[in-house]
Amino acid sequence: MVSLIQNEITKIFLKKKMILIAILLIVLVGLFAYGEKYAYDKTISKFESSVSGASYDWKSLVNQQIEQLKGRVDSPYIPESAIQSINIQIEQLEYFVSHDLNPITPSTARFTVEFMEQSIILFLPLLIIILAADLISSEFSNRTIKLLLTRAVPRWKVLLSKYLALVMMTTMVILLIGIISGGVSRLFFGVWGFDEPIATGFKYIGGTLNSDSVIRITRLEYMFLVYALGWFVSIAIASITFMISALVRSTATAIGIIMASLIGGQFLQFFLSDWGIVKYFFVSNLNLIKYLTGSFQPIEGMSLVFSVLVLSVWSVVSLVISFFVFSKQDVLV
Amino acid sequence: MSRVLKVNNVTKYIEKKEIIKGISFNIEEGEILGFLGPNGAGKSTTLRMIVGLSKPSSGTIEICGASISTQYIKAMENVGCLIEGPDLYNFATGMKNLEMLSAMSKNISKEDILEVVRLVGLENRINDKVSTYSMGMRQRLGLAQALIHKPKLLILDEPTNGFDPQGIFEFREIIKDLVRHKNISVLISSHLISEIQLMCDKVSIINDGLIIKNAKVSDLLSSGTIYWVLDDPLKGQTLLKEKYKADLKIENNELMGNIDLEKIEEMNKYLIDEGIKLKYVGIKSLTLEELFLNLTEHHHIT
Repeated sequence: MVSLIQNEITKIFLKKKMILIAILLIVLVGLFAYGEKYAYDKTISKFESSVSGASYDWKSLVNQQIEQLKGRVDSPYIPESAIQSINIQIEQLEYFVSHDLNPITPSTARFTVEFMEQSIILFLPLLIIILAADLISSEFSNRTIKLLLTRAVPRWKVLLSKYLALVMMTTMVILLIGIISGGVSRLFFGVWGFDEPIATGFKYIGGTLNSDSVIRITRLEYMFLVYALGWFVSIAIASITFMISALVRSTATAIGIIMASLIGGQFLQFFLSDWGIVKYFFVSNLNLIKYLTGSFQPIEGMSLVFSVLVLSVWSVVSLVISFFVFSKQDVLV
Repeated sequence: MSRVLKVNNVTKYIEKKEIIKGISFNIEEGEILGFLGPNGAGKSTTLRMIVGLSKPSSGTIEICGASISTQYIKAMENVGCLIEGPDLYNFATGMKNLEMLSAMSKNISKEDILEVVRLVGLENRINDKVSTYSMGMRQRLGLAQALIHKPKLLILDEPTNGFDPQGIFEFREIIKDLVRHKNISVLISSHLISEIQLMCDKVSIINDGLIIKNAKVSDLLSSGTIYWVLDDPLKGQTLLKEKYKADLKIENNELMGNIDLEKIEEMNKYLIDEGIKLKYVGIKSLTLEELFLNLTEHHHIT
């Protein structure tokens, strides 16, 4: 079994997929980090010019932001739904100021978390698809499946070795995202900021922000939490892609199907959130990290536990289907 | 001699169409069986069932006494195959391809791999990427893959596709050598009848999902047609018909027909005595090709 997994990992490396993923990450992380640095510098210069003479400190900047947000709430052109979310933002910022938590200054720790937050619904799944989409279908299109299935190894073992290799590689991608976004952003921001405290666990009850359940942890701990959720989402995406790869005969079709579900799913969630069934679609449940901010509920009735359960069910069902189809089918390529 | 492969009354339905209609054949140790049939006759489907790529709808297949449905692992340990061209990972070297494959079987040492590489004559290029290989080299690597775990039964589907004449010759010698020295049994399907004729002991002719003839190659070829070259073939035909009730026909001024070989001398003497000038008499042995066409010409894809 170990040697079978080794074979699969060798194939992934020989196809130079990890290099492709690393290059994609470096380019994107570099752009993001540069953009954030640029925006931060601009915010400071704007603040300094508006409060002439006063030197920059983050508390007064946050206070200024709170004032601006309050001004927007008073404006008659802002719709009711937006006012609620602005109110939450204001309350959160006020909480930060009163508890001496800096939400502004960019640091490596903050960026690393933010990058995962931003990429979890599309970019992270995309990287996993690069790994998983051709795992089985390419064996069919290259006909090498005949090599794997004419040896003295039962079919379920062949498939299990592929899945375990995929899980390992997925884990490696998550580590790679952490390392690359940490390393690149350190170059831009110059501060690690891992021991900075952060407040998480806000609850949104009856239209107001409830900070009773807020816990204060360091950014490092928060980062591990976020990356663990990222890993979980990746495994779910990997399992679903794995099934599609087992069901279709061509890699292009596999990529097409999974990309269409991902993008189509985002639209569904956006336009048809009233339709109850949408929340059981895996794409609607990818944004696990956003639940941590407390105010997030993409569709009525969804929560972190709900989404984790939905993704787990999708993963398990995908695996069952993959194993069933793979061990029963006639290979005619 | 022990039985290496036993195929018993196997049928296969694909999408409700009966592709294989109950075929049975055996291969004994050290035998080479040729599997001959037109396209779509069910050769590949049968071979795929033997190597475990698809499952028979009914009937049993045993390899070295182990049924492929109940003792899959034991059965597959004894089979090496090359089904419809070599299947290789183009992004890896030839060596890496073999190493990955050897990891799927037990107890294959580095020496075993090198030995099989020497056997197929790839030692100079084995560390190059497979994407740089010619068709013939890919086929050799495919053969190495089939042999790497020292199987007792080798299954080759159209193995000489893509070889030049030199390659075909070498390939044939490798196979014959394996049978002679390692006591491997071989099942070869081919549309090249000459290949089967040159390599096989037995032949199974398959058409439309049925085996229409199981026979030894030598037996099939020994039944021949006698032909005479005479100055007056018409008279000869009449004479032989009256005296021996021989059913002869005239083609290209030659008198020919299927005659009991023991009567030839007597017939020749009779013709000469009757005043016919006999120029030449001979046996046209049937090629496998003619036999094959005779047997299959009335079958069409339905």
